Amino acid sequence: MKARRVKGLDPDGALADNAERIVLVRLEELCSFMPTAADPDQVVALHDMRIAAKRLRYILEVCGSCFGPYARTATRMARELQDLLGEIHDCDVQIPETAAFAERLQAADAAALRAAAGAAGDLDPALLEQAPHARDHAGIAALEVHLRARRLLLFDRFLELWASYERKGFRARLEYAIAERGVSIGTP
Amino acid sequence: MAKAQDIEVGPSEPYRQAAARIVRVRAGELFAAAAGVLDTGDIERVHDMRVASRRLRAVLEIFEPCFPRSEFGGVLRDVKQLADALGARRDPDVHIEALRAFSGALAAANRPGVARLVEDLRARQARGNEMLADQLLRVEERGLHGRLLALADAAEAAR
Repeated sequence: MKARRVKGLDPDGALADNAERIVLVRLEELCSFMPTAADPDQVVALHDMRIAAKRLRYILEVCGSCFGPYARTATRMARELQDLLGEIHDCDVQIPETAAFAERLQAADAAALRAAAGAAGDLDPALLEQAPHARDHAGIAALEVHLRARRLLLFDRFLELWASYERKGFRARLEYAIAERGVSIGTP
Repeated sequence: MAKAQDIEVGPSEPYRQAAARIVRVRAGELFAAAAGVLDTGDIERVHDMRVASRRLRAVLEIFEPCFPRSEFGGVLRDVKQLADALGARRDPDVHIEALRAFSGALAAANRPGVARLVEDLRARQARGNEMLADQLLRVEERGLHGRLLALADAAEAAR
């Protein structure tokens, strides 16, 4: 996901003035993914929200000391959100990979059994025992079920976490912390 | 995991001066983490270097307006490519570790399939290591560390 452009950055200006602009854009970027990302099927929005959380976390890690103690809390919250969305993303990557691996094993076994059947008029079910991956299918199926269930659980945790951020006023408090850093740096 | 150095910044510090200081530190951390990174027996090394590459990429993006545009694009692209190669090695590392833990909790009848997938991931890990080796060589040939330091110098010098 391409980051939103931050307008008005001035290399000769004070760090805090520039950081303020960046944080506000990154915060808005993060929050803009809700409520879309609250739909568990919106895999791309969830992934992009993770990237947005990462970008917010990094600017806060670098420049958070300009904005008082809440910035440190917000850094931790952005990281926690990024980590959780990362776990969900891992499931979204691994579920289709595992399914594709299962499909490969099944296709290889089907081809091997067809060859073993030779000129028979039908396939003898007893041949299944001779399939090269006969002992592998159960574990891969179990893994796929585990990944799907884990994804459901992690997504529920994500909804709970975001609701807790809203209850705690994450966005408003960070905006306030930034606004409250005082008069523009360099102003007498 | 190697902890990133804390870098104190002041609110009134010029943006470009902070850019120079921070990029120097983060670039140094990236290249300090390169030792032994191709050793698949110690997966924390590649993790440390990947984290360092992410931090460096992040600060390059945060401070982009401070750097000469003519040099910045090429440096950022090289850092991204290195980060991608580190990811191609790291992702199977993480997946293998997770499957090991998962397998330990499984009934014996389910373990062979998971072991088969781990074998598959080992092959991907080896391909990732080759990609990373190529990328490390490329980074050296293209003098990325020196170019990063030059970028920091240019940020500080420009007025």
